[in-house]
Amino acid sequence: MAGNSEGRRVQDKLRRIKPPGQGTMMQLRTKLSLFNLLSKVVFAGMFLILMPYIIQGINLRQVDNNLIQKREQVIAQISDIGIEPFIQSDSSDAFGSYNILKEEFISLERIDNVEDLNYIDVAPRLIEGEEIEYRVLNYSFVINDQKYLLEIGKSLESIRYTEKNTRRVMWVFLIFIIILTFITDLEYTNLLLKPLEKIKNKLKRISDPSHFDNSRVKTSTYDFQRLDSALNELMDHINALFKKEKEITVNISHELMTPVSVMRSKLENILLKKDLDPETEVKIEESLKILHRLQSLISSLLLIARIESHQYLRDESFSLNDLLLEITGEIKPVAADAGVDLTSELPEDFIFKSANRSLIFSMLFNIVNNAVKNTPKGGVVKVRGILRENGYLLSISDTGRGLSEVQKQSLFERFKMRDPASREGTGIGLAISKTIADFHNIEVSVSSESGKGTVFSFLFPANS
Amino acid sequence: MNVLIVEDEKSLASEIADFLRSENFLCDVAFTGKDASEKIAVNLYDFVLLDLGLPDYNGLELINEAWKYNSEASFIIITARGAIEDKVKGLDLGADDYLAKPFALVELLARINAVARRKFKVDTNNIILGNFEMQLSSRKLICRSDEVDLTKKEFDLLSYLVLNRNKVLTRTQLYEHIWGNILDDQYDSNFIDVHIKNLRKKLNTHAPTPWLETVRGVGYRISYGE
Repeated sequence: MAGNSEGRRVQDKLRRIKPPGQGTMMQLRTKLSLFNLLSKVVFAGMFLILMPYIIQGINLRQVDNNLIQKREQVIAQISDIGIEPFIQSDSSDAFGSYNILKEEFISLERIDNVEDLNYIDVAPRLIEGEEIEYRVLNYSFVINDQKYLLEIGKSLESIRYTEKNTRRVMWVFLIFIIILTFITDLEYTNLLLKPLEKIKNKLKRISDPSHFDNSRVKTSTYDFQRLDSALNELMDHINALFKKEKEITVNISHELMTPVSVMRSKLENILLKKDLDPETEVKIEESLKILHRLQSLISSLLLIARIESHQYLRDESFSLNDLLLEITGEIKPVAADAGVDLTSELPEDFIFKSANRSLIFSMLFNIVNNAVKNTPKGGVVKVRGILRENGYLLSISDTGRGLSEVQKQSLFERFKMRDPASREGTGIGLAISKTIADFHNIEVSVSSESGKGTVFSFLFPANS
Repeated sequence: MNVLIVEDEKSLASEIADFLRSENFLCDVAFTGKDASEKIAVNLYDFVLLDLGLPDYNGLELINEAWKYNSEASFIIITARGAIEDKVKGLDLGADDYLAKPFALVELLARINAVARRKFKVDTNNIILGNFEMQLSSRKLICRSDEVDLTKKEFDLLSYLVLNRNKVLTRTQLYEHIWGNILDDQYDSNFIDVHIKNLRKKLNTHAPTPWLETVRGVGYRISYGE
């Protein structure tokens, strides 16, 4: 349906209004967590690369110590009971012993080598026809002028097996530590950043400084406390200035209204005189018109100041469809006279709660009326409402001259004319509409293409 | 009818007085609250036009005082302050209407008449306009026993012109009366022209309307002889 796609386009535009640089923006908490995770992964990776070497080193040293210990035991035994129980002087000249799985062996033999031997190395041994690699301790000693060589070996396979076990335990331990520290780090970061989150929330959804909640955020972090109090002070200051500005606006407006009032009455009384010539009549009417312009201007400023200082109540609930029908009903004759087709498409109703009906009426009347005025003969002004999950989206589109980028940017500012050449009006109407929208938390957006038309969109907040 | 104008801006007070006198009212003027208070105590007024921004008096107190003196005056508050609370407070205290400055003198007259109609329960005479008969109480316009189908705004427009018959009403005055405080920033709105055009068209299908005049460059007027 054409209507829906139009609405969606407007909605997309609404969503696209984001602060600049949003693409690369990340929350502080996310950044910290990511860094936390990354540093742990790097650390674990480094550890995994180095782990085999470390474990091997540790294991070898342990095995060597073990071998040396065993050597001491054997030497002690020999010095206790003598060499004979191991090697008979006459028969064989070697002694050997190994356990069933050939994990370890011990051998003792006579040697003639003059050199003293004491070292540990890796060497293959043939035991029962099976060649097995051992870590072997070689040690020579002399008893009764006979040199003996003691060899104690431990099979490399059993060493590797221990290594594997150690590695497995290390893996499990490492994963456990990483997960545990990641979770605790995350929790702590969250806890630490909570005050910052609160400060952020304070600033969120503030369209007017007077809505600022200046209660203190509880924190034991000095930086956050400073940030919070600095913000509070700043906001209080801004609020004070705003209040003053509003007061001045209100006072000046009152002061100006009195002379305007006197002048107006005088001119009106003159106009009521019976014997005026038509030329004078027209001149007086023109003066009255100019005076009325001044009056409208002052009342507009006054109205904005009053809305901004919350002098209006928001205590009404009303049907937006009824309101829109009332508005289009009033503008239709004017549109018809100007040859503009004013249509509305309001399939679902929306009850706007806690609002000020006459302000909303002014706001929408202004926009629809402007749309009609800015549309040439034969053009179309459409009022469309769509009920959405996040509220009620109302769009008012025209087929007028559209707006340039520059015009769009300053559209809602006071005294910015839509078309400086037309010299019609002061452009304060849109500023009023924007003020009323802000007062009711209505999101306003404008999309326009020069020469094709303008779409004003109002997103009324969903009733909670 | 007796009217007391309480207004510290002297030239405004005298303009209002001039206008009301030309409408056959008897006018007194008080420039201060004290003066007004004395006048209310001594004289009987049908209407008091009260400016709230008096230098020496809280204007709202005058309403209370009037009650004390058993005055039957109707109060119409006129103020430049225009604050909502003032309006609510004023109406709560028993004021009959409220007008924000600057206002059109013809609008003031319309308000006074409306209050008078309510207060004295005047059975408004039906007004004859050529072949038309305007029934103000039932808000109907009849032409030779046919009812002319008018919108609310069209009837309001016509009755405002009828009430101020033989006076030129400017577009601004008509616009303000019908659309009240809708702030239109493009002043030469042709709203009124379009509505008058449509009104004429509707009426002319029943009977000619020579009494509804366009005063070129100024506004509109309903003329009919006394």
